[in-house]
Amino acid sequence: MSNRTTAAALAAAVAAATLMSAGANAQTANADKERCYGISMAGKNDCAATGNNSCAGQSKADYDAKAWKYVAKGSCGTMEVTLKDGMKRKGTLAPM
Amino acid sequence: MPPDMRPLAHAQQSFRRGVLQARLQVPAAVAGLPGPSRERRFSVYRNNVKASLVAALKAKFTVIERLVGEEFFEATALVFVERHPPRSPVLAEYGGGFASFLEVFEPAADLPYLPDVARLEWARHRAFHAADATPVAIDRLATLAADDLHDTRLTLHPATAVAASPWPIVSIWTTNTFDAETRRIGPDHAGEIALITRPQDDVLVNVLPPGSDLLIAALREGRALGTAIGQAPASLDLARTLALLFRAGAVVGLLKGISE
Repeated sequence: MSNRTTAAALAAAVAAATLMSAGANAQTANADKERCYGISMAGKNDCAATGNNSCAGQSKADYDAKAWKYVAKGSCGTMEVTLKDGMKRKGTLAPM
Repeated sequence: MPPDMRPLAHAQQSFRRGVLQARLQVPAAVAGLPGPSRERRFSVYRNNVKASLVAALKAKFTVIERLVGEEFFEATALVFVERHPPRSPVLAEYGGGFASFLEVFEPAADLPYLPDVARLEWARHRAFHAADATPVAIDRLATLAADDLHDTRLTLHPATAVAASPWPIVSIWTTNTFDAETRRIGPDHAGEIALITRPQDDVLVNVLPPGSDLLIAALREGRALGTAIGQAPASLDLARTLALLFRAGAVVGLLKGISE
């Protein structure tokens, strides 16, 4: 293909690709979620701030204060868990 | 190394060997220590090291584990740990050689798609830990004149990876990740090219059109769009490839370049 035909083919492809993508910008899968710390059961976390695990599902303790889980935006502070010693604690948006 | 460091280095090396090799042999440095049942105590240490490495592999290759079953996976992982011990102290970096190992691991030879599925899982793991960057939208590309497009280079997001396979690796990965009961994927199913990206916090897996892996490889080498197209087959669905690359957040920059 000559440069000119390639350029034309490219322009056509970009135009078509833009049409396909109309309304769908870079995916924001988690735009409506927030990271909530301290509420995930052992092995059920999405990730952690620091420490013993290299992420998804690797926390070793229930309600690890440094492990987080995605929850619907705005709902983190309303999540309450009961710790082993009977204490109640709410989820937080930052590691405890 | 100063001469007085040698005994320590030697002791550390024999300890490391003792921990990782298949057969139990208590290293001299430990054998000389006082106290009861040195062999049993050293075995506890060995077991902990190996079990933690196997657990790390399990966490990264969950689909492989589901495909072969827990028992087979643990036995396989243990052989891998013994043959390919970690070279880095960072646990997150351990397991890069697992896919290639599966290729030559005789007991897994019946499942020829296993190594490529492992490559997909490893790419997801790498993408998760890759640097953050902000993807650009395809509209930016659309504003360029046709002649400029030809010389434009795309900067890929650090998390972007491509895994091409003669097996339907994305379909296999998807059903084994999301379905409680796996879907049957027939042997006539075509091969798939996986695009792995992480535009924000989540790792995404998409199926790319046939031939697009060659285009992306050329882009990664820094070739301009016009040149990169020449590296891909003429049958490539360019529009769909570009749409997917941008939608998945694989592109973070456009460089209007010098003509090649």
